[in-house]
Amino acid sequence: MAREFQRGHKAKVSDLTSGTDLYVGVQIAGPGLTFDISCFGLDADEQLSDDRYFIFFNQPKSPEESIQLLGAQAGDTESFRVTLDRIPANIHKLSFTATLDGAGQMSQVGPGYIRIVAGGEEVVKYAFTGSEFTTERAVMLGDFYLKDVWRFAAVGQGFDGGLDALLKNFGGEVAEEAPAAPSQDAPPAFAPPSQASAPPAFGAPAAPQAPQPAPAFGAPSAPAPAPQQPPVHAAPTIAAPMAPQAPAPYGQPPQQPQFGQIPGQGAPPAAPPYGQQPPAAPPYGQQPPVPFGQQPPGLPHGVPQGVPAAGAGLQAALQPYKEAATGQRWTSQNQQLMRVDLTMGGMPVLARQGSMVMYQGKVDFGYKGAGFAGRMVGNATGQEMQLMRCTGRGQVFLAEEGAHLHPIELQGDGICVSAENVLAFDESLLYEVRRIEGHGIPGGALFTMQFQGTGTVVVKTHGVPVVLPVTPTTFADCNAVVAWSSASQVIVSSQVRLRRNAYPGHSGETVNLQFRGAPGNFVVVQPYEV
Amino acid sequence: MNQQLAGFAPTPVTARMENHGRTMLKVAMASGQDLYARTGSMVAYEGFIQYEPNPPAVRQIASQWITGEGAPLMKCAGDGLLYLADYGADVVVINLDNDSLSVNGTNLLAFDSHLTWGVERVKGLAKFAGQGLWNVCVQGTGWVAITSRGTPIVVDCGRGEDETYVDPDALVAWSPNLKVKGKRSFKAGSLIGRGSGEAYQMAFSGQGIVVVQPSEDSTDRLRVRN
Repeated sequence: MAREFQRGHKAKVSDLTSGTDLYVGVQIAGPGLTFDISCFGLDADEQLSDDRYFIFFNQPKSPEESIQLLGAQAGDTESFRVTLDRIPANIHKLSFTATLDGAGQMSQVGPGYIRIVAGGEEVVKYAFTGSEFTTERAVMLGDFYLKDVWRFAAVGQGFDGGLDALLKNFGGEVAEEAPAAPSQDAPPAFAPPSQASAPPAFGAPAAPQAPQPAPAFGAPSAPAPAPQQPPVHAAPTIAAPMAPQAPAPYGQPPQQPQFGQIPGQGAPPAAPPYGQQPPAAPPYGQQPPVPFGQQPPGLPHGVPQGVPAAGAGLQAALQPYKEAATGQRWTSQNQQLMRVDLTMGGMPVLARQGSMVMYQGKVDFGYKGAGFAGRMVGNATGQEMQLMRCTGRGQVFLAEEGAHLHPIELQGDGICVSAENVLAFDESLLYEVRRIEGHGIPGGALFTMQFQGTGTVVVKTHGVPVVLPVTPTTFADCNAVVAWSSASQVIVSSQVRLRRNAYPGHSGETVNLQFRGAPGNFVVVQPYEV
Repeated sequence: MNQQLAGFAPTPVTARMENHGRTMLKVAMASGQDLYARTGSMVAYEGFIQYEPNPPAVRQIASQWITGEGAPLMKCAGDGLLYLADYGADVVVINLDNDSLSVNGTNLLAFDSHLTWGVERVKGLAKFAGQGLWNVCVQGTGWVAITSRGTPIVVDCGRGEDETYVDPDALVAWSPNLKVKGKRSFKAGSLIGRGSGEAYQMAFSGQGIVVVQPSEDSTDRLRVRN
């Protein structure tokens, strides 16, 4: 028996049906309107992190075929097959959307629905009409989302932009999309060096509905939203100018390959690529040059004002650098930045002084001495480890001099880290400062911190480190060694050769640390000698 | 030899500003579309490009910034390809779409001259940070390139009620509509040499973003060299 859902209703899929192999049908129609119905597989942050889970007519199934596009059938405008238990763990939400292709607005649609059919029986149906919408050009119809178990929600929310705005909303890389400010203050058209150098194919606008080669990330192209112009650019590949006012040729996906080959856009064989010729003969679209921004009109434009792959605007440009929250205590934001959430676990973190670059929330930074033993050792050489204790509730971002950071999670095991390479660690860890003495070590001794217990140590390295297994003949430079498993034994080995002094300029590698231990032990070495 | 190096040849121009690798910026120049770039950031150029250090327009806008040696900006004009870099710092290219962004003076690499821009001193804080904290507010529709020592991170401020505190040495850029204030976390302990090493931060509140670099190296290398 079908349950009728209203906008905003939610239910566990298991309450609706015991099956997990579901048929999702969407009916949406309106006089003179055509729709693209697609499914976005989103991650926990509601982002389209894997574009293979954007299911639409050009990409009809996900890699493991848990989501498949079936086409129109049984009265549905579009239908999908969703196998919930085969959806990979990183997909947390499937959002079914309908976008208008061409002119029109959502208020013009007639009665429609999204329904789930399991085992040949309709189990849930959410019906809507155009009167629920106004000028939107896209609508999010319903979601499957994972909250402990898979649930279904009737969303019915309109979305102002078209498919590209929707894609951007989901963090998708809009491979082809409206250029920044597609229409009004459009970037100037690019004037290629000469007509001759442009591939002939250029001049001939392809039929707008030509079949498309699947683009790198195939946002639907022909149906793509932008109403006035075909705005489609495969931004990463085209070497071509964005000429938003240009008629057809730009927008044609089939021509994309040629964009990449346009000579003259910096490609060596071409004529001066900088487009100094008057705009009088813009070969691409015969459009008049468009004044750009505050630029005085009438000037020749030659520079392609393309839009970056991710799209125009501040948000798009900075999207790759967004903070990523994983819900764990320690999260690498990128190679060089560590985020620690003090609210998780509830224990303070000890960090090297001055390594905090940013924090959110109420966090207190206090002085933490190296302890009596530490000071004893430290004072002997003036190499005291300066720590601060971060307490409170909030997120602290730690980094130092752009060094690579590596969180090492200890679960009862031990690790020795060269004191200079410790960035931060959980206070729950037991640590002691040890020194390794040896003739020839700068400063007289190498200071290491031995950590034991359960918790995380963040180790910093200059450059990408190498992790070596401990074999009977493992040696490391005492200046470059970063860490080693504490079960391995360290021996200082000096290469003293009697004849050393016989040669001017010896190898310079006189003091090495030799490691001994059972198989399974390791040594971490950085490509940088302090 | 050529074969190994061929991979580093410039890619065809697709946009006004592009990354060449992580740390180099390639700008397609055309006459009439001038560019302001940090003085000394040019590493190579092809074509006919002229550089005017300390142009009058800059002198006017950035008069406060000028500390006797002139504003660290040059105007680049001409046709060609211009390559800029700042001592191996990561370059982030931003296509402003009627947005605005406030960039730390040291972290600004280049921007379109038609953008509206201004220089301001960060209130309340400059007297503590050694070199003073100047920031350039850029606004409009066009291209901006900023540098960051290491991969930057972007944090949304408006999520929680709590403010976001940033080490001024690690700050790269922020949305100008954020409220900024300096926060000193001096304690009695700091006075006897037991500080946490984090003496002051900048507190941001409101809706917007903050860009932070994973390094507290805020030295202005382009300037230090002179």
